[in-house]
Amino acid sequence: MKPIRYLAVARHLALAGLVACIATPAAAATGKLVLTGGVSSIDGAAGGGLTPWAVIGTNATDGEIGGTAHVTRVSTQDYALTSYGAALGYHNKFEISIARQNFDASPAIALNGIAPFGVKRGENIEMDVLGVKYRIFGEAVLDSLNLIPQVAVGIEHKQVQPNSLKSVLRFLDASTSSTDFYVSATKLLLEHSLLLNGTLRITKANQNGLLGFGAGAQGKDKYTGQPEFSVAYLLHRTLAIGAEYRFKPNNLEILGRRAGLGSALREDDWSDVFVAWAPSKHFSLTGAYVDLGGIVPGITRKRDQTGWYLSAQYAF
Amino acid sequence: MLRHISRTIFATLLALSVLGHPAGAIAASDLTLYRALGERPGLTALMDKFLDGLLADKRTEPFFGKSDHAHVKLMLVDLICDVIGGPCEYAGEDMTTSHEKHAITAADFNALVEVLQVAMDQQGIPVADQNRLLARLAPMHRAIITRR
Ligand code: HEM
Repeated sequence: MKPIRYLAVARHLALAGLVACIATPAAAATGKLVLTGGVSSIDGAAGGGLTPWAVIGTNATDGEIGGTAHVTRVSTQDYALTSYGAALGYHNKFEISIARQNFDASPAIALNGIAPFGVKRGENIEMDVLGVKYRIFGEAVLDSLNLIPQVAVGIEHKQVQPNSLKSVLRFLDASTSSTDFYVSATKLLLEHSLLLNGTLRITKANQNGLLGFGAGAQGKDKYTGQPEFSVAYLLHRTLAIGAEYRFKPNNLEILGRRAGLGSALREDDWSDVFVAWAPSKHFSLTGAYVDLGGIVPGITRKRDQTGWYLSAQYAF
Repeated sequence: MLRHISRTIFATLLALSVLGHPAGAIAASDLTLYRALGERPGLTALMDKFLDGLLADKRTEPFFGKSDHAHVKLMLVDLICDVIGGPCEYAGEDMTTSHEKHAITAADFNALVEVLQVAMDQQGIPVADQNRLLARLAPMHRAIITRR
């Protein structure tokens, strides 16, 4: 059984859609202001780097259809993540996105020392994310004299392919697929050149889903609400700096404690400071310094994972 | 460490944005933006560049090509001067009346904003002041965008 399959089909359909978009003249004249569609988050939805916003991605504004494609690389002391994907924005109302993540989980080989998990050397975890976002009300950018934010709701359906770490997820009793639900509110306080976003995510994900969803411990297999915040300051219409903070669940630590591993499986909040630059309407680059806290700290000499995030987005 | 820094940044920025003057009409006595934009001569120079830009941009030229340039420029100076609290009174047509016949879309509107941003760059207006002006004008999209 390959749960990844139908997402692969969805991805092909979406890519076909994007190609169709480029081919239609309507997409050639998409007219959103630079950077106001956000950048591509690691999960594919438009927003900041680590969290979705209420903005509808792409350059498409009312009455238009647009697309984006992104590739992102995050690299920390012990791990690395590559994410690539695409998004389609429809009439500044509706967004559909897809992303594939490839997580280099090499340190997981150490888990074989705890139990015969059979984790392979240099193992990768793959995850597919299918996202849908719908703007309910509000105009984040142009309604600059009121404080009513743009509000959107969304889902991110995630399927993880743990490869030889399957036995570990089974041990944790974490499932390999789940859906996050979120509501986001974004407001550009143009008077202050400041963009604020708050997102509430309802999730079961462990490390965003890379370590599965939920855990086999009392109360740790339930959805919990996790707030995520972003703030950005516009230095220029093509340049923004900002920071993000994303609260996360901590479903696995208790299992580690029970197994006598202390805080080996602890999960921490994520944060970053970023610079986003759009040298043209069609291209943006985002660089960030991320602090992902501990990611299975028991196999990484307990150290926090900090490092660099680099993302490129092309919009058509 | 970074977590503490970003927490502090958030708290500060949030506090600033809440405490900072709430969005609303600029008090008549607040001439800071008017002065920052170079008062009436500055606005006139800016509108010269702006109209040149509108006529040079193929997205906006179709709208402005046939308009009475001197009149539109004068009206724009009056209107902007007025909405940023300057000593002027705009006496032109209201935004609905002057724009409804042009069937303007959101993309057209954003194209015009972009041309204005470029003109402001050329005029050497700091980005924070550019955004304060745009914040005054952007809400007019409700009256101006009539084709959705
Ligand atoms: C916030 C943005 C805008 C402001 C503040 C603004 C302001 C004005 C003003 C004050 C006038 C003169 C009205 C009069 O004659 O009494 C005018 C005219 C005009 N505006 Fe706008 N405008 C804006 C956006 C746009 C957009 C997006 C377009 C089209 C892309 C546009 C196209 C025109 C045209 C073609 C005229 C000339 C009208 C005519 O001669 O019939 N405007 N505008």
